[in-house]
Amino acid sequence: MATTTHIRVRGLPAHNPGPTYLSYTPDGTKLVTVGSNNTARVYNEGSDGEPSNLDDCQEQNFAVDATNEFMVAGSEDGTVSKYNFDSMEFDKFLVRTTLPVRDVCISSDGIWCAVASDELVVKIVNTSDQSAVMYLRDQPRPIKHLSFDPSNKYIALSCTNGLVYFYSLKNDEPELVRTVEGLIRTLETDSEFSSKIVWHPDGRAFAAATPTRDIQVMSKGDWENQRAFSGHSGDITTLAWSPNGAMLASAARDGKVILWDTKTQKIIAIYDYPNVMDLAWHPTNNIVSFTNTDGQVFIYHDFVPPTHTQLLRLSVQPAPFIHDPLSEISANAARRPVTNGSKDVPHRGVRQQSHDSLEGVDDILGSVLDDDFVEDDDGAGYALGLNGNGKRPLDDTTTYGSTTKRTYGRWEPRVHESFQPGSTPWRGNRKYLCLNLIGFVWTVDQDTHNTVTVEFYDHEEYRDFHFTDTCLYDKACLNEQGTLFACKAEEKTPAVIFYRPHETWTARTDWRTELPKGEDVTAISLSDSFITVTTSANYVRIYTLFGIPYRVFRQKSTPTISCASWRDYVLTLGNGPVGADGNTKLLYTIQNIKRDEICQSEDLVALPDGETLKSVFFSDDGNPCIYDSTGTLLTLLHWRTPSQAIWTPLLDTKLLSRLASGRKTESYFPVAVADNKFHCIILKGGDQYPYFPRPLLSEFDFEVPLYSPPKPTSDDDEPEIDESKKLEKNFVLGSILATQQQDLIDYTKSTPSQRQNLAKVELDIDKTLLQMLAVECREGEERGMRALEIVALLRDRTGRMIEAAGKVADRYGRGVLAEKIRELGEERLAAMEED
Amino acid sequence: MALPLPPGLTPSEVAFVCELEMVTVVPRQQLKSHDLLSGPTPALRPPHRAPLPLWLALLLKRQRRANIIPPPWLLPTSLERILRYETETSPSAFSPPPPHPHTVSVLPSATDQMTPPFLPSSTADAPSGHLPYHWLELGEILLEACSDDIPDPDKVRTLLRDLREVRMAKMRASTKELEGGGVVSLRGVGAMEVAEGRQFVVGVMDGLRKLGASRETERRRREEEGGDGDGNSDDDDMEME
Repeated sequence: MATTTHIRVRGLPAHNPGPTYLSYTPDGTKLVTVGSNNTARVYNEGSDGEPSNLDDCQEQNFAVDATNEFMVAGSEDGTVSKYNFDSMEFDKFLVRTTLPVRDVCISSDGIWCAVASDELVVKIVNTSDQSAVMYLRDQPRPIKHLSFDPSNKYIALSCTNGLVYFYSLKNDEPELVRTVEGLIRTLETDSEFSSKIVWHPDGRAFAAATPTRDIQVMSKGDWENQRAFSGHSGDITTLAWSPNGAMLASAARDGKVILWDTKTQKIIAIYDYPNVMDLAWHPTNNIVSFTNTDGQVFIYHDFVPPTHTQLLRLSVQPAPFIHDPLSEISANAARRPVTNGSKDVPHRGVRQQSHDSLEGVDDILGSVLDDDFVEDDDGAGYALGLNGNGKRPLDDTTTYGSTTKRTYGRWEPRVHESFQPGSTPWRGNRKYLCLNLIGFVWTVDQDTHNTVTVEFYDHEEYRDFHFTDTCLYDKACLNEQGTLFACKAEEKTPAVIFYRPHETWTARTDWRTELPKGEDVTAISLSDSFITVTTSANYVRIYTLFGIPYRVFRQKSTPTISCASWRDYVLTLGNGPVGADGNTKLLYTIQNIKRDEICQSEDLVALPDGETLKSVFFSDDGNPCIYDSTGTLLTLLHWRTPSQAIWTPLLDTKLLSRLASGRKTESYFPVAVADNKFHCIILKGGDQYPYFPRPLLSEFDFEVPLYSPPKPTSDDDEPEIDESKKLEKNFVLGSILATQQQDLIDYTKSTPSQRQNLAKVELDIDKTLLQMLAVECREGEERGMRALEIVALLRDRTGRMIEAAGKVADRYGRGVLAEKIRELGEERLAAMEED
Repeated sequence: MALPLPPGLTPSEVAFVCELEMVTVVPRQQLKSHDLLSGPTPALRPPHRAPLPLWLALLLKRQRRANIIPPPWLLPTSLERILRYETETSPSAFSPPPPHPHTVSVLPSATDQMTPPFLPSSTADAPSGHLPYHWLELGEILLEACSDDIPDPDKVRTLLRDLREVRMAKMRASTKELEGGGVVSLRGVGAMEVAEGRQFVVGVMDGLRKLGASRETERRRREEEGGDGDGNSDDDDMEME
């Protein structure tokens, strides 16, 4: 860490004093430098002394980038020139701008060259065909730096207004996908300091110099700040990741060039070289080259000290995340001993080090592997399968580790992940542990400890609280009585369960209990009377509210996925046998703990092929509900009778009328089902999980998926059709709700209000049927059969409803129908008298 | 007129009537159902949304017992769409009011006759992209009372101001049509705009009528001289009142 005792590297006088820039060719054979005089120098690998010169350059060059075949240089006079290496001559002007060129960047496949100038528009020119140009116009100020991401699907523009603009280049027309505020500082285009976005070679994150002289890493998936490198005492002028991302080199105005360890963000070495302007790693060797403002070039052999050279030999290393979404998944104990056994980087990752476009580095093996890589990545089915299985936001540009899941040639069943209902994964240093209608629990990672905050919607009834959490709880449940927490088992400490009631009449009632060593918590749930914990040892452990172990049993379907509970009922989910689609089948068991009865034993959760579960919970009146990855909310009917249970859809969010226009793309994070409404959080912009600030809850009425929503354009054309569809939906929904209510009354000590409720639901069904009858009558005489069928569906047993139906028919002048309805009514009355 | 009051409702009266509009709130604490003259209020249970009259919602909001969910038409995207409609799509007519929330069917029903403020045109499930009858006063009240619940309140304020100016300009321009007894459609005009415009339009009309009166007497005189014609041109002017 001390300033190195190396022999000081001598600067090679390359250019006149002034800004000097450099770039390695991707194969590492040449180092190109440009500066303020009209010569570009090409240093060949190995020959330390005399460079070859490209003499017919423009003066005052501000940018350079190179591929194996050619290099481009951008100059103050607004030209971007292309030079061929084989002829060592000027080839052509790629593009001209009216104002000085500030940065050029060639995509790692060498096809596109992006040019930033003092103009507002950024041009992306095809290097072989100058007429093919893409324009990026959404930024209001000139752009200082550009960089392609390793997959060439995104480009990051560092604007002089302190914002970073990310464009997607997946389609022919570039599209602004994100603006990041507060990462870089506002800099003029001719400033010596850097606000460049430097992509980490794994493609999931990038680094940039912040106004506070730190180097901040930000993830591309959720645009959250990750780790930061701090130690410079001057403004940062340049930074570069090592080709495998294991180290970072940076230079600043404090006269220091610092080498950092990516994993720990510690300083490996400090070198004193003032006024460094630009810095580049050799793609393969232990060489770092840099230029200074005096026009000198330093080619620093053995830049990485011998103690750390092993870092150079590693394959692509993960970017420094606070909570790496990938390691998070594979760290779930006993999750996938076979499918995802190896936690190290896949061998394919090595190839990806070729995609370092940051300093124009490319693979030695050329572009052949690139094609191969793209093919794999584009395999849409492949990516989809992953997405269905792994519950993480999967972007097809996620290069690092996206292939860890499966290797070719060996078939393995796909196992459903375990999850905690109502929680979100880590994003940045925050995570929701629990979101429901009582309140929400979140935690913030403070490196050494977490801070957990519990907030309630009802501020009068409960008091918000927060505490410093040294156990690092990562699961929580919240209900009217209390809050339940659980933390992971670490090497030395066992998993802990912690319960804290909201109200107490004794001095201290919170309790914690430890699980046996090595046993990890997969999911927890809290009801009015019991605490349920499913563990990685496939045990279901049930405690009473105040910590008395009540029951322990092993779950039949393994590995366990999740659990939910309501009063004395506990629902556990597990992976069953493998189905036809290669996924394991989900099995659930519902049991009444107090009565020790099994309601449903190892029954199937009905899921379409390849889909998985997003959440499982009980509704406020105690019916199990699931929300799956197709966006459908289902409930279980007749679940108290063994083997009678059926999954019935209540709402398909894809068919919501708010999405009918096709303009909106949004997904929904399920929160609860209460009052016959689906409470959820609307997620826009491709988000998968809610984040901070906490979004508002939305509620949707149930809508049984019978029809596609009407197109919004047809307003008043056929209101009748729409009306009858609406009534039909209401009828089916009413039948479902009546069934649930009936079951509830049959199986529990029902209260008068519950019975009243059932009567009301049935009355509503009859009213809906009468309205349907009115529609049919209005339609015409020929719909009589259908109308009579509707009358036969009436639930009312007193005959009043049938009488009313007869009146409706009379009113529309359907005499025959009215007659038949009366006959039906008489039959019914007779049948009732017989009973 | 016996009373020195101007005809119609004053702006403060319109704002008072506007407080009968229903809005959606997210309560922050429980509250039992209350029996009011207008019917029982729903029992409030956080975080379940509940419809409440605006005056009650404002009361609860001031006591920090509830948050008001802004109606969908008050969001910046919706207002921008309306403004675009007002300025580009139809530079002369007002944007249409929201569709009637109860389906108007062949059979007459009690809901057909319902008008604002007794229609749920400003609850959270109201349609976006249409200005309801009480849009101006409701927008102003919400911006003043609960700007923390409205996303991007400054933008909403600017857009409301823009809309108001565009529509006031249309209102003033409509007097040109009225000259000589034309008819102007007031479909989609809000309560406050009518109240504000009334003074001006009625004044202009009166002035026009006075100007026309001399012409009229002139014509009558000529008619008396040269035979009879019909002189009913000034009756349509009452349209605005």
